Amino acid sequence: MIRQLMSLTDVEDRGRFSRYLLAIVGYGVLQGLSIVLVIPVLRSLLRGDASAAAPWIGALAGVVALACAAFYGQAMIGFQIALGLLRGMHHRVGDHLVRVPLGWFSTDRTGRLAHSMSQGTEMIIGVPAHLLQPLVTGVVTPLTVASGMLLFDWRLGLAALGTAPALVCVYRWAGRLLSRTSHRVDAAAVESAGRVVEFAQAQPVLRAFGRTAEGHRMLEDALAEQRHAARAAFRGGVPGLAGFAVAVQAAFVVILVVGAARAVGGSVDVAELVGLLVMATRFTGPLIEVADLGAALRLAGHDLERIEEVLAVPPLAEPAAPAAATTDAGRGTGVSLQGVSFGYDDSGNVLHDVSFDVPPGTMTALVGASGSGKTTVTRLVARFFDVDAGSVRVGGTDVRAMSTEDLMSRLSLVFQDVYLFDDTIEANIRVGRVDATDGQVREAARLARVDEIIERLPDGWQTRVGEGGAVLSGGERQRVSIARALLKDASVVLLDEATAALDPVNEAAVQETIGALSGDRTLIVVAHRLATVVAADQIVVLDEGRVVQRGVHSDLVREPGRYADFWRERVQARGWRLVDRDLARR
Amino acid sequence: MNDVHRASSVGWVGRESRRSPAGNLVTQSPNGSLDQSVGSPPLAGESPATPPQHPGLGALLRPQRGRLAVAAVLQVVAAAVGLAPYVAVAGIAGVLLSPADADSSAVWRWVLVAVGGLVVRTAFTALAYSITHLADADLGLDLRLRLADRLGRVPLGWFTERSSGRVKRVLQDDVHALHHLVAHALNDLVAAVVAPLVAIGYLCWVDWRLALVCLIPLPLYALAYGWMMRDAPAQMVKWSEAKDRLNATLVEFVSGIAVVKTFGRARRAHERFRRAGDDHAEFFGQWVGPMLRVEAIATVIISPPVMLLVSLSASAWFVGAGWIDPVDVVPFLMLAVGLGGPVLSLGFGAQAMRTATEAAQRLGELLDTPVLPTPERPRTPAGARVEFAGVRFSYDGRTTVLDDVDLVLEPGTVTALVGASGSGKSTLARLLPRFFDPDAGEVRIGGADIRQLTDRSLYRQVGFVFQETSLLRASVRDNIRLARPDADDASVEAAARAAQVHERIARLPRGYDSVVGVDAQLSGGEAQRVSIARALLADNPVLVLDEATAFADPSSEAAVQDALSELVAGRTLLVIAHRLHTITAADRIVVLDGGRIAQSGRHADLLAEPGPYARLWHARVEHTADGAGLDPPAGLDPPAGLAASTEEPSR
Repeated sequence: MIRQLMSLTDVEDRGRFSRYLLAIVGYGVLQGLSIVLVIPVLRSLLRGDASAAAPWIGALAGVVALACAAFYGQAMIGFQIALGLLRGMHHRVGDHLVRVPLGWFSTDRTGRLAHSMSQGTEMIIGVPAHLLQPLVTGVVTPLTVASGMLLFDWRLGLAALGTAPALVCVYRWAGRLLSRTSHRVDAAAVESAGRVVEFAQAQPVLRAFGRTAEGHRMLEDALAEQRHAARAAFRGGVPGLAGFAVAVQAAFVVILVVGAARAVGGSVDVAELVGLLVMATRFTGPLIEVADLGAALRLAGHDLERIEEVLAVPPLAEPAAPAAATTDAGRGTGVSLQGVSFGYDDSGNVLHDVSFDVPPGTMTALVGASGSGKTTVTRLVARFFDVDAGSVRVGGTDVRAMSTEDLMSRLSLVFQDVYLFDDTIEANIRVGRVDATDGQVREAARLARVDEIIERLPDGWQTRVGEGGAVLSGGERQRVSIARALLKDASVVLLDEATAALDPVNEAAVQETIGALSGDRTLIVVAHRLATVVAADQIVVLDEGRVVQRGVHSDLVREPGRYADFWRERVQARGWRLVDRDLARR
Repeated sequence: MNDVHRASSVGWVGRESRRSPAGNLVTQSPNGSLDQSVGSPPLAGESPATPPQHPGLGALLRPQRGRLAVAAVLQVVAAAVGLAPYVAVAGIAGVLLSPADADSSAVWRWVLVAVGGLVVRTAFTALAYSITHLADADLGLDLRLRLADRLGRVPLGWFTERSSGRVKRVLQDDVHALHHLVAHALNDLVAAVVAPLVAIGYLCWVDWRLALVCLIPLPLYALAYGWMMRDAPAQMVKWSEAKDRLNATLVEFVSGIAVVKTFGRARRAHERFRRAGDDHAEFFGQWVGPMLRVEAIATVIISPPVMLLVSLSASAWFVGAGWIDPVDVVPFLMLAVGLGGPVLSLGFGAQAMRTATEAAQRLGELLDTPVLPTPERPRTPAGARVEFAGVRFSYDGRTTVLDDVDLVLEPGTVTALVGASGSGKSTLARLLPRFFDPDAGEVRIGGADIRQLTDRSLYRQVGFVFQETSLLRASVRDNIRLARPDADDASVEAAARAAQVHERIARLPRGYDSVVGVDAQLSGGEAQRVSIARALLADNPVLVLDEATAFADPSSEAAVQDALSELVAGRTLLVIAHRLHTITAADRIVVLDGGRIAQSGRHADLLAEPGPYARLWHARVEHTADGAGLDPPAGLDPPAGLAASTEEPSR
């Protein structure tokens, strides 16, 4: 664990670790030594000879002074290490995240990452700050005391040391039992918490369907099950819970009995024996701390693992000598996919041998059922992931040979999951191009119909959108991101229309965007709207990750196949009336 | 003695982390920082100056008070008995050092006392912890049930993303904090108080003067600790803020990384992230650094080596002066040394208490969320005629969303609400299933104000289908028959067939028994059709519908639309309309503008007169090419003059 902690610390902060370890081990030994010194002092005192005790007390004072120094030292160094860790973890994770493929960042992952970076780092820096010292002391001090006993009475010393292996075994066994039961309790807790949250989220439906008045069986079952699990786990876990404490007490009893037997036999100096028994009472205390602290240490270990998992994500390879894409001054940048295969994980490929060209300044519509791989294509062009086979070229250059900055400077992305910064709407649009004039920002906003949102908002352009854009609806967020992409004015635009279909105003915004961009930009659109599809220079029909049809609308619609089916369904859906005249008359 | 006492807590506290008091202080989570802004709306007639009184920790624990008291008594006895081994060692020393010949049976008697004490103490402690764990399990169940009951009665409008986050937080963190307090910390706290008191009492009984001298480090520690904590509350607030800032930067960096990368600003964002981390560490260092020095010194003062040195020196002094029998110093060497330990335990206990108090505060708030009043003498609706009469509504009490709305839905008719976004059409529709109650005016069904109806009789009349689907993590069958748990398989299947989703369900691994989200992974459109099947089976005479539902999932629009057509047939329908062409045949189109009814009538009539409806209609035609091409009634000619080709595949 120390090694793990060290690896997360900045290099310049690592030197402290050895001094820190020396200080905490030193403190443990010195504390043990101070307890051992009780014997000579007590021997004098019990003889009623206080003056003979004086030099020993002097020696004790010396040891205690050193122990204090060691304790103070380890507290200070431990704190410095904690600070270094705090900084180091932040740096390491930050440096790593900018190199991880964008595809890695799912909502789920980012949520967990944020958690381990805030709560997790606290647990981790707690290790050097205050967890490790009592743990090490708890082991080193009893060992020192037992070794000291050996010096005075080897039988008693041996009895003390002899309990150690038994204690270790019980400790391990109890730990395993405990973690097993706590897993069960945790699982039941997660289940019931999930049910209550579901109960809250589904409240409108539950209420409308009469499930609250008569009781919601699933919730009640989950809650009763949790109580049951907690009780069962507690019963099952009792031996684990009490085990180590009983073992430590048994160890004390062993020492006590051996000591009493030797005293009764008269084979040991009485003063010495009393001293040893006093030592024995001091022997067990620190050991008991170890059990508590060990559990806390394990928790910190889990957090550490989670951070290391993040650091273990392979970064996107940056080319040593980045090649530049060629941009045709008149016509812009083209995109081409050649024999592209790709899968998100081992569960199979999402794309199989996909090839098509998007000539500069043209629009290509990607069409297909959900899950056919349309969105994946756009993600691969933006190098959210690297292809498993084949190549993706932007401006004639393989995206893997381009620097991330160069590639990104050529792309504008309007994807489904839009992230807005907790800043004003204006600033969020300006992210597209920091040096844009106000006029350019307004124009982009107008095209994307953000101006309509602005009118409604109390602070207009200066309205803060809240974390992640919480103030705006999904459609409105996407409009801001469209404005952002328009402002960026990149030569290739990747646009995912999917949620745009939700809201007619959004549709209009997408419509105008495409209108404004087509002609001099290269567009790849995940298309659902018929107008987009019809206007495309090329339609690529995907089915289960393969290109099944390719061409222009007027040709494709005539040949039987996926596209014709798609078109028919869509036209039918467009013409749908919620109420038709026959129904209204009924 | 505290050492052996603490043996009791081994493992029991194992799963919760233990920290030194200062450690707790600096790493405590900023409880409540998020929730303060999410407070429940003030109750009517409540003065804003006094914060609402919610049931606190004491009230929450009341049902388990008896058990906790029994556990505490057991723990007191256990802590007192825990002194036995020390008394026994002192006793053995007395026997062995007595001038008379050592009496071996007396020694063994003392050994028995020690062993007996340990056994009794372990048994009592185990019993005490068993009781508190049982109390905790029951308390947890009780709290969750009360919470669920409350959630079932608050206004539907209360449920937002934020409030469900709050519910989650309360359930996960706050109930856990209470668990820690009830199951572990209270017992630990009792032991940490009783054990040293008994020890000190015993030492005073042996020799009160020596006891006083040996205890000198304790007040010194208290002084240092008090000095250290003198402005802790203010600093805690600052620390919480600093942490919130860091977390915000972190969330922004991680969630926004795609944006910063694609807009070529990764380097700057990264720089900002790094700086935020460094600032945070620096703040941490500046705040905790000086305090840590004092804390280290204070801890040293009551550390075993120092306590040992003090008691040994004092003992030597007392023995040298002849004030004390040498054998009487033995208990001091054993007990005084460990007195510092429980002081730290007290710190943990106090911390657990604080955390639990804060948690109880949040739980109490949630349990006190105002509920929709239930009618004292419920009325029964006579028929399904719906009336909105003089309805006014505002979300925040300042901006009026609906103003003086009068509207009648005759049974069996279709009423469409149209208007720009923000005009109030969604809000008006949501008043009928009682997501909110109007501030003024009434909503009536069959002549009865819906506030005078029981939930049951209201929702027997009114059903709704909104865009956001809400399927439960239960079998598909149970999801469909939510309103009628006793519905037979044939009716469930009939509803699923009518909603165009039966075939999809049949393809699931376990058919209708597949559990949503587990082995039934449904697309948006499929989930929507399951919820339509549910509404079909519920068969309410009045239905509130968001028309956007029909277009929510582009990949299965047609099927959802067929299902909807099936659902709305023959019902009294109130529809929130976005695409005007879908509702041109409605019996009545109601145009809302700024929360008021601006126009109402049939499509043809409204289109003929100048007004907002005509404007909306034409704006739509201008701006959406789809609409322009496909509307109305000839329909199927797409733009760009490709009409011929579109006809072809349908032939």
